[in-house]
Amino acid sequence: MSNKDDILGRIRSGIRERYDMPSLGDLQATVYDEPLAAFKASSEATGSKVVELAPETDIDKAIRDLFPDAGVIASNLPEVHIATLNPDTVGSAQELNGTDVGVIRGSFGVAENGCIWIPQSMKEKAVCFISENLVILLPKAAIVNNMHEAYRQIDLGEYGYGTFISGPSKTADIAQTLVMGAQAARSVTVLLV
Amino acid sequence: MSKHSKKAKGFLKDARYSEWHDATFWAVREKRDGMAHGLPEWERLREKASKIKLHTLSHLDQYLEQFASQAEKNGAIVHWAADAEDFNNIVFGILSEHGVKKIVKSKSMLTEECGMNPFLESKGIEVVETDLGERIIQLLGQAPSHIVMPAVHLTPDQVGELFEAEGISNEPGNHDPTYLTYRARLSLRKEFLTAGAGMTGANFGIAATGDIVVCTNEGNADMSTSCPKLHIAALGLEKVIPDYDSLAVFQRLLCRSATGQPTTTYTSHFRTARPGAAPMHIILVDNGRSEWIANPEHWQTLKCIRCGSCMNTCPVYRRSGGYSYSYFIPGPVGVNLGMLRNAKAHSGNVSACTLCLSCQSVCPVKINLGEQIYQWRQQLPAFGTAPLGKRTLCEGMSMVYDHPLLYKTATGVIKKPFHSLKLDKDE
Repeated sequence: MSNKDDILGRIRSGIRERYDMPSLGDLQATVYDEPLAAFKASSEATGSKVVELAPETDIDKAIRDLFPDAGVIASNLPEVHIATLNPDTVGSAQELNGTDVGVIRGSFGVAENGCIWIPQSMKEKAVCFISENLVILLPKAAIVNNMHEAYRQIDLGEYGYGTFISGPSKTADIAQTLVMGAQAARSVTVLLV
Repeated sequence: MSKHSKKAKGFLKDARYSEWHDATFWAVREKRDGMAHGLPEWERLREKASKIKLHTLSHLDQYLEQFASQAEKNGAIVHWAADAEDFNNIVFGILSEHGVKKIVKSKSMLTEECGMNPFLESKGIEVVETDLGERIIQLLGQAPSHIVMPAVHLTPDQVGELFEAEGISNEPGNHDPTYLTYRARLSLRKEFLTAGAGMTGANFGIAATGDIVVCTNEGNADMSTSCPKLHIAALGLEKVIPDYDSLAVFQRLLCRSATGQPTTTYTSHFRTARPGAAPMHIILVDNGRSEWIANPEHWQTLKCIRCGSCMNTCPVYRRSGGYSYSYFIPGPVGVNLGMLRNAKAHSGNVSACTLCLSCQSVCPVKINLGEQIYQWRQQLPAFGTAPLGKRTLCEGMSMVYDHPLLYKTATGVIKKPFHSLKLDKDE
């Protein structure tokens, strides 16, 4: 017998009583009168900077204003013309190391905790983590209340990977002191468009 | 005195440090309370989480099969490891096949449980931990003292001196945590870029989709899997849950319970390997779990989602530290897991409990941790590990209680001296 059959057999013979799956319909999860305002507050609490852009704002100019000294800007988004590296066409993920600003798109935000759903939409997802500063473009109409709503609509897309990001990479592993910028992006700016 | 008590005595010698330890974890408990009180549905979430786990564990055969077949449909290669040795050999086999000499890995208590790092190192493979706390204790040759905050027992000076000795920092005497974190970032960045494989644990496996879900604050699991061309994910059998609706419940509870944050910074879903990479390998690890399910009193320990909240609140953990326990997972859940693993070896830990039951009142999946510890204590004579003094006392007492005449005689004997003390003027 294979390991798999052995393991499953032991589990089957060990289970004495089978419990039903509970209904989750009566959770009464928190919803917000103003999801966008709640999202902004929870994003800022995770260390993100949130900037609401006026309609028709030039994205290039918005990025340049935020990061005037950025040398390497990586993005595959069509509205970002100032990108100097494209995560779709770099030879390897490693080439993205040294990126000052990575610009990516989020599908929707979650009001309760500031999470933004990022399905992989580029060949090298390293750009979402390796960049010193991360800029996430997010439609301001796309805010859900909580993770229950969020998990009803996530889609991992063609690359079979997606992540919820809330704020910069952080750690408190040295004496419980919170430090922004552990192994991934040191800052996150959410551009609400 | 139990082994735990002896070690706790050593821990408490440094009063300033032990007070700091106590206060640090109590502060995490308070942050968790702040999160819990902020969500009106908190107790309902705990109740649902508990029931989802009862359901999943009692249908684990079905969910494991579903998870594995979905993952295989997604293109992943699924392995079933019977025990730690099996697991280590599978990992080494995959790495050898791909000619990998160095791996970067994110935090995994499972690889700790299986002793994977020393095994791979004995085979000439370099293993680099990439969670900052794990990296620190790896460089020191230590084990984690807490499952979520593995290096919390160290001071900034100790970390600073380590980084100076390792050439990670280059400003002697600068022990500022922000500076040290930045220097570790630079050092680990080189490792991410040059490793041949990335290894992650898993917080959840999703049966309906075959996803591996990994939660981190540092982004190190994502860095570990974004540069190398090979991803190996290891998960204990009990990490599989039914679907995204279930995941939403656990995702909301996990980080709030663990560190008092509303979410981890990254909640990452891995379904297929990235373009140009080798197929993802998923290793499902049994190592005792399929037998523990059959234990009628203790199978619910398998509900654990490894948040660590039972440690943070435990008055004994806070005042004795992770290294006072003989099992590699400390605190209330570690006491129970250690007993399941090897009752004879770890029965010293069952004394590390005041039966205050604070652990089970914060546990996000409502494991009856304290009650289980009480039950384990009743079984100590059967393991031959009950302390001799207490055992003699208990046996003597039960003999006295079982024989009324003996009881009267015994109580009569001890009454006399009290009478003769004549403490009471009216006597």
